[in-house]
Order: sequence, then structure tokens, then C-alpha cells
Amino acid sequence: MISSANLYALTGSGLFSLGLYGLIMYAHLLRKILAINVMGSGIFLLLVALAYRSPGQPDVVPHAMVITGIVVAVSATALALGLMLKLATHSSSTQLPDED
Amino acid sequence: MASLINTFINTLNWPVLLILLPLIGAMICFIWPRSAILTGLITLSAVLCCVAGLTWQLLEHGVYRHPVGGWGAPLGIDLYADGLSLIMLLTTALVGSAISVYSTAYLKPQESTRFWPVWLLLLAALNALFLSADLFNLYVTLELMGLAAVTLTALSATRQAYNGAMRYLLATLLGSLCYLLAIALLYHAYATVDISLLAQRVDSSPVSWAAFGLISAGLALKTALFPLHFWLPPAHSSAPAPVSALLSALVVKASFYILLRVWLEIFAPLGAGAVELFGLLGMLAVVWGSIQALRQTRLKLLIAYSTVAQIGYLFMAFPLASNRPQLWAAVLYLALSHALAKSAMFLSAGNLLKYGGHDRISDLDRVVQRLPLTAAAFALAGVSIMGLPPSGGFISKWLLLEAAITQGRWDLALVMIFGGLLAAAYIFKVLGRTFTQAATTHEARAVPASMEWPALLLALGAIVLGFIAIPMFGLIHIGDAFGLGGVQP
Amino acid sequence: MFFIAFGLLMALAWVRLQAPDVALAEAAIGAGLTGALLLAALSRLNSIEHTTAAPAYPQKSARALQLQSWLAMALLLILNAGLAYSILSLPDTGAGLTPLVTMQLEHSGVKNPVTAVLLNYRGYDTLLEVFVLLLALLSVWSMGTSQQQPEASPGPVLDNLMRLLAPVLILVAAYLLWVGADAPGGAFQAGSVLAAAGVLLLLSGWRLPTRLLDRPLRIVLIAGPAVFIATALATLLSSGRLLQFAPDWAGVLILLIETFATLSIGVTLAALFAGGRPHHPPDRS
Repeated sequence: MISSANLYALTGSGLFSLGLYGLIMYAHLLRKILAINVMGSGIFLLLVALAYRSPGQPDVVPHAMVITGIVVAVSATALALGLMLKLATHSSSTQLPDED
Repeated sequence: MASLINTFINTLNWPVLLILLPLIGAMICFIWPRSAILTGLITLSAVLCCVAGLTWQLLEHGVYRHPVGGWGAPLGIDLYADGLSLIMLLTTALVGSAISVYSTAYLKPQESTRFWPVWLLLLAALNALFLSADLFNLYVTLELMGLAAVTLTALSATRQAYNGAMRYLLATLLGSLCYLLAIALLYHAYATVDISLLAQRVDSSPVSWAAFGLISAGLALKTALFPLHFWLPPAHSSAPAPVSALLSALVVKASFYILLRVWLEIFAPLGAGAVELFGLLGMLAVVWGSIQALRQTRLKLLIAYSTVAQIGYLFMAFPLASNRPQLWAAVLYLALSHALAKSAMFLSAGNLLKYGGHDRISDLDRVVQRLPLTAAAFALAGVSIMGLPPSGGFISKWLLLEAAITQGRWDLALVMIFGGLLAAAYIFKVLGRTFTQAATTHEARAVPASMEWPALLLALGAIVLGFIAIPMFGLIHIGDAFGLGGVQP
Repeated sequence: MFFIAFGLLMALAWVRLQAPDVALAEAAIGAGLTGALLLAALSRLNSIEHTTAAPAYPQKSARALQLQSWLAMALLLILNAGLAYSILSLPDTGAGLTPLVTMQLEHSGVKNPVTAVLLNYRGYDTLLEVFVLLLALLSVWSMGTSQQQPEASPGPVLDNLMRLLAPVLILVAAYLLWVGADAPGGAFQAGSVLAAAGVLLLLSGWRLPTRLLDRPLRIVLIAGPAVFIATALATLLSSGRLLQFAPDWAGVLILLIETFATLSIGVTLAALFAGGRPHHPPDRS
């Protein structure tokens, strides 16, 4: 019998793999950026889910790590979107060109 | 008087200042953009003083440990410095200062106001990274470093630069996420993210193996180990020359440092299979990177591929050093030599670019007569990259080659020699062109001394390392990061 | 839109897992602001693509793509199996650092353990993190100025609604900041609610007066990091340890840091939404 903590944790690792698939396979940069965010959410879910295994109240150290992670993720996303828009204005494309 | 100075040096908390000062400098640059260059240069001088102070402190008192907030691991975060961290901090301060001076002349005023706050944040991230003893804190420093490096890559605002920066960003984020996932697993298995506590607690379990795999993959991607190097040449070749130098000399080494630290402290007892994989990928990187470098027609791309090859050497050392821990010092020395030599090369390339307006290797027009200092810098850096005596590159590669032969690892030894020959080929390909007259001549522009001298000094540094190996190895061994147990090599 | 729904689902998962602080952060930042950033980028992207020619990169053949996709899927399944195996191999209970967190809570100056970890036990992480956010803004600004495209006027009803909502959101932010010491909430959640108010104002066509655009805006952006650093230096001088708060002072210092951090986080996030360095009168430099 899988505990609910493990179930959420497995969902988290599933999201990580799904996001990785999206990052590798999609050509459109917006989708790649979304995929990175999905991967991040997967890790956050895993961190918090496994903290739920603590008897009594959940372990809060991973909660704090996730809040840190969310802020880092939004910073990275803002930078990525800015770069994507710049690329779009310069090369009128939202894909990365193939190797040189 | 002497005792007063002594107390002063010992009471000041140098490592904490190494982190806080660049952060303060970055804020000042942000508020007063017009004084950015002055603020930056003052900050860099202060950082140099702090590293000197730290060196003194470590020599007097041995390793440094500072529980931030007074909590101590595992609840709080510890700062930690030993010989391994010290060498990285020293490299960062020296190379960073030279590049800073260079950038004042190289960058246009518009670029300069954008360059300084981000570079100071990058400097703070690097210093914090080399001082951290906490895996999650290392994640935050990695992200700060990665985002700053990407921003600097995009500084020249061309299509190639944005393209290189985007690739770099996606690669570095993927690397960080793999690393973070590994930290999540380790925390939930061992209830700490402190490196030394993990070292006591980690056993051979599925979780530690998964974590080791993820950390290695993530950091190998950030370090651009073959075949995960695809992002490096476009990013390093399209950035402005001082940024390329920072990226190749320092940023790539930082992720290698974490990998080395984590391997030495936590995962080395787990298994030997991984070192063979690192060795194999390292060999492939040397061969592939060198051949690609030889094929390039643009100078900055050639230097970037040479970085891919030289990173290979760092990984080839894993199978050798896991049998003989003394060799880790040679690996670190190689990283230091490469940082100096490679930044000298990128800065020289920047001079040639400013001088002729292009970096096509075939059109380098009698540079030796016109820019003798730059040509000398490139040649001296080349000596260290090829591994010829007397240079830091020679000492470390010689130690590795000797170990490969005595351990009967002919495969590694052959690749090392072959890689050296290929390096000679691509460096002489450039040097040969600098003597001859090109088919088309160009309007030449003057290159200021503040661009020629930093390149030359860095290259000379790489050579001088060949003469001061013994005291430097003494510094590296402070705190016994390689687990020699008091046995000096 | 899908992403915002995904973020809200995640927030539900956090609630289920008894992580209310994370739920608030996720709903406000993860779903709300990231979603707003994505939508803003999408709309700018569309306006760019309308004005320029279509891309002309050679597409890979369908068969090659399919092969690649199968290969990727197989590899990821193996990876995921390995991850799942290692997750399931963990013991069913694990207290983590809970005993230590609870034991030291009375010395931390706050009653909400998440705030204690974020601002006290691991406050150094948070110090670096506010600089990550500042760096993101520096990066976006360094890539150019924001296009002052005339935003579509939202109409009087929506306009009034937004002007009404913004003060409410600012109050909510203040509340979240204040309760963060004892209950779920804190600087990041409050900051992102503040940012939401900013985003609404920006959408309703409001712009910062030009005289506030340069130095004053920068000072507000830097206030959070600067106060944090000042506290760090003060603790280093007084106790010899970075960010060591005396238990009696801890509560006040944490509130001080959090107040300025909230302000800076809110303005930074709103500025990220606005994208690009604001236009100011021709460079005086």
C-alpha cells in the first residue's frame, strides 16, 4: 500500500520527467520555458510531499526551501521570457536555430 | 605593532566580507550607475585584500568554519574554507581583477553601466559558492551565478549573443534542477543538507545513488563535459571578450568545484564505477574538443572549443586520483592554470577583435609587429594550454601523465599526449598567422595599454605557476580536503 | 491559461499536504505572477510576430521526430523508474529537522516555524535570494527599455474596479506581512500580493510619474536587499556572527527585514511584469 505522501512524491517525480520530455522535444521557446517550470513544480511537490512523512506536524524546512525555490523560479522565468522576446525581435523566430 | 596587525587580521571575518562586499558594491552600482566603474574597481581591490587576509588566517589557524546565525548544522548553514576553497577564491580574485581592469577599456559606456552590477553579483555568487558547506545554499549560489552569467552573455545585444544566452540559460536551469532534485532526495533520506554531516551519514542506498547520478549529470552539464558541452561554444564565443574570459575561467570551474567537493566528501566511498565513466567522457572531450578547435576559422570559437577539451583533462584525472589522492592537488592546479591561461587567451582575442574589427584567424595581419604584448600573451597562455614547461599547465599535466603511466593506464596516457599535440596544432595555427601578412589588410585601431597588460599579466601568471608549485601545493593541502590523513605528497 | 490552472492545482496539493505557507506562495507567485508574466510575454510575442516575417528554419522530417520522441520517452521512463524506486525505498516516516526546529522556535523571535526557517535558521539563503530577484530585474532591464505600447484602455467599469481593488490588495499584503510571524504568510507572499496590486494598476493604464522613475524607483527596489545587508553587517559587528539575532531582538529585526523585503519584492515583481527598463528623460549621463 502506497502512502499518500509517497503518492504525491511519485507525482512530483512524474512531473519532473514530463517537464524534461517537454524541454527536449518542444521547439517553441515558450513551451520550453513552461516545461522548465513544470520540472521545478515536480521537485517542489516531491520536497513537500516527503516532508509530510514526519509524524505529527510536517517538517517545515523543505517548505522554506520550496518558497525559496519558487522565488528563484519566477526570477529565472522572467529572464527567460525577456530573452525569448529579444530573440523574437532579432530573428523573428521563437525557436533556437540548429547548430550554427 | 606586529601583534596589533596580527589581531586585526585574525579578528576580521574575511570570508563573510568576501560575500557581503560585492553585494554592497552591486547595490551602489545600481543606485549610482555613473560611478559604477569606480565602485567596481574599489570592490575588487577590497576583495583582493580579503583573500590575502583569509590566506594568512588559514595559514595561521587552519580551516575556517562559521555557523551563520549561530545555529550550526544541521539547522543552520555553515560557511567553510580550506585549501581547496582558498585556491578557488584566490583564482577568482586574481582573474576577476585583471578582467575588471580590462573591461574598463573594452566595454562601451552603455555596456559598462549594465556590466558592473551584474558582474559584482556574479563575484558575490562565486565567493559564496566556494565558501558554502551546505548543499541547498550551494543551489541558491548556483542560480545566482547562472542567471548572472547568462545576463552577461547577452550583454552585446546581438542576435548571436541572445541565441547563445538562451541556450546557456536553458542548459544551466536544467542543470540546477537536476541538482535540486538530488538535494531533495538527500535531505529526505538523511535529514541534513550539510556536506560534512552527509559525509558521515550517507550509505550505499538507492537514494544516494540516484542523488549522485543527478548531481553528476546536472553539474557535468553546467561544466560542459562532453557530450553535454553543446551550449558552451555559442555562449562563450558570442559574449564580449571580458565576459567570455569570466565564463571560461571561473563560472565553468565553479560547478566543477562543487562536483569535486561533493565527490571527495560524500560519494567517493560509494563506488568506483563512476570514475571510469568520468574518465571515458573526459578522454572523448579532449579528443573531440581539440579536433573541433582545430577546425574553427574564428578565433573565439577556437578558444571556446579548447575550453571543452581542457575540461576533459579535469575529468580524466578522476580514475587516476581515486587510486592516489595526492593527485587531486594536481587537478586543482590544472584548473587554476587553465583559468589564468584561458582568460589571457580570451582577452588577447578581444584585443585582436578591437584592433582589426574581426576575429577571423586567416586574416590576422602581422599582429606580432603591431601588438607585440598581445601576441606574447597569447603565446605564453598557449604554452600552458599545450602543457609545455615551464608553466602551471606543464606541472599538473606532467603529474597526471606520470600517474597514468605508473598505474598502467595507457589509454589515458595516450589521450593526454595526443591532446597535447592537437593543442599545439591549434595554437600554432593561430600563432603562425600572426607573423604573416594577410591577403586583405584592415584599418587598424589602437589598443590601449589597459587592455594589453591584463592579458599579458594573466598569461605570465600561468607561466609563473610553473615555478611556485611547491608553496602553492602547500596552500592546497590546508585542511586536508583530499583525505590524505597528514601524508604530504 | 493552462499554466495558471496547473498552479492552482499545485496550491491545492500544498494545502492537502499541510503546507499553507507554500500554498500561499504558489498561488500568488507560482500561479499568479508567473502566469501574468507568461501572458504578457505571449501578447508581446504576438505583436512581434504580426509585424515580422515567419521563421524559416528547416524542419526535421516527421519520421526523425517520431524516432527522437520514442527515444526520449524510453530514456525518461527509465529515469522515472529509478526515481520512483529510490523514493519508495525511503522509510515511511522521517522527522527530518522537525525536533530541532521546534526546540529552537522560542529563540527564533517568531511563532510561525516556516518564517523561523526562512528568516532566522536559514536566513542566509534568503539574503542571497533577494539578490536573485534583484538580478532578474537587472537582467530584464539590461536587455532594453520597455515598449511604451499604448495599452488597450480597459473601459470605465474595469478601470474603477481595479482602482478599488488595488488598495484592498495593499491591505491584504500588509496583513500577510504582519501575521507572517505567527501564522502562514510572510515577506514573499505579501510581496507578491503587493505586486498583484501593481500589475492591476499597470493594466489599468496607470504609470509611475516620470520624476519617480529613475532614482526613487531604484531606491525602493534596493531597500529590501539594503536593509538585509545592513542587518547582516550589524549582527557581524555586534555578535561576531553573520545574521545571529539576539533572541530578544529577533522578532523586531525579522519584522524590519520583512517589511522592506516585502516592499522591494512587490515593486520588483511588478517591474518584471512591466518588462524592460522604464523610459526616462534622455540620459543625463
